[in-house]
Amino acid sequence: MIKYLKEYRFYIILFLFLLIPITAIDTSTRAPREYRAHDRLILGISSPVQAAITFTLDQVVSAFQNYLYLLNTRQENLRLTEENRKLQSSIASLQETQQENLRLRKLLAFQESFRLETVAAAVVAKDVTTEFRTIRINRGENSGIRKNMAVLTAEGVVGRVFRTTANTADVVTILDLLSAVDSIVERSRARGVVEGMTDETCQLKFVLRTDDIQPGDGLISSGLGGVFPKGVPVGVVSKVNRKAFGITQDVEVRPAVDFSKLEEVLVVTRQVSEPLFDKQVEKAHSEKSASAGTPEKSDSGAVAARSHP
Amino acid sequence: MIRIFLRAINAPILVLMVILGIAIQTAVFVRPPLSWIQPDVILVAVLWCALKRGFTEGGILTLIFSTIAEAHSSAPQGALLVSYMATYLAVRAAARFFVLPSRTTLIFLTLGASILWRLTNLEVMHLLDASENLWRHTLLYLFPSAMIQGALAMASFRALERFDWVTYKSARAQQLLEDEYNLDEEGA
Repeated sequence: MIKYLKEYRFYIILFLFLLIPITAIDTSTRAPREYRAHDRLILGISSPVQAAITFTLDQVVSAFQNYLYLLNTRQENLRLTEENRKLQSSIASLQETQQENLRLRKLLAFQESFRLETVAAAVVAKDVTTEFRTIRINRGENSGIRKNMAVLTAEGVVGRVFRTTANTADVVTILDLLSAVDSIVERSRARGVVEGMTDETCQLKFVLRTDDIQPGDGLISSGLGGVFPKGVPVGVVSKVNRKAFGITQDVEVRPAVDFSKLEEVLVVTRQVSEPLFDKQVEKAHSEKSASAGTPEKSDSGAVAARSHP
Repeated sequence: MIRIFLRAINAPILVLMVILGIAIQTAVFVRPPLSWIQPDVILVAVLWCALKRGFTEGGILTLIFSTIAEAHSSAPQGALLVSYMATYLAVRAAARFFVLPSRTTLIFLTLGASILWRLTNLEVMHLLDASENLWRHTLLYLFPSAMIQGALAMASFRALERFDWVTYKSARAQQLLEDEYNLDEEGA
């Protein structure tokens, strides 16, 4: 027996090398996944490095931009003193903070308009292959993030949480080939599924050929599936190819979120049901009450709206 | 004794280097235009194992590297394992039948392996019924990524050669070590 094992060692090992990957394949390609123990060990090493690199790069870019700004200022205004330079540097730094503040304010306004409980997170890394378009954020289970939570920005849908560790989470963006977001065309209410296609575009699938869709139409999430809140912008129709025959039409979509500039995201940890309709009904009621001269209802509505997180 | 220890820690350090390489790759090449020229650290490591390691050791390291890649990707579970293992075996077979005399040949081999890896990945995804939009991406990136991979291979193969030499893993260092043992034994 041992003799045969030794004689056919190469073939046995070759067989194992072929067998192990094949048995590891999981055919449920879209299902969220759990990190295994060894995955967590690997991420325990790589995640802090990713976070450190991202932080360092941000600092370097920021310093470089400040330097350029200072250089231009000095060239244009030769008589500026050292003190002025320091002031300009502070201004540049403040501007950076202001920009960040603006971005965060927009996120906050978005969160309030949809009545969501969210956790803000920064993007620290992307997928190791160019074929798949996952991003890694610097918040995980410790911040209350769980699998299948929606990830948004003020502009619209980013994706959904795919898997988590204690301090990081992987997010499958809507650009990913295996992503699918049930969406509605805002104008005609035609329904379809947005799937990832290239680094910049998505595809609206399963829309009937007879559905009225035009380039420039906005797409919003339908709320089906329970991952994304209803009414969040998904993208804008950029191209429609309606053939003379067939059941469906080819629709290309440009995402509402600019993924090339994605820095911060909001992870929706809890949704309050039917946010838009509640608000619209509330608004209509308050307007009606105001016209009828009963301001109490309007006030209570406002309080109710504020009391929601 | 130190030399044997250095040789023993060659593989764990290589794994650690790959993890750090992946961390750098995924954190630096996040946004365009850098994301368009993202190299593949795992592929370089797999090629190195195919060319400079024994069949079993190289295969096990390839499985480990593929697992590291899967921990950093949303690719369907097992897909990267199959793609990298197929590339490993193909390069190993190529190295068995063809002579790879210089570093330039290695770079051409890297170009070929990069193309092979992408096509294998496309086929795996096709079998998983998830390749509908992938072929477009594969065609777009097939040759540019191979060029980037070749450029990365130039620098990384030199560094890996140096690493193997320092840890007494390269054939020349091993030979020197054995010669020294033989001389010691004869002296004794």
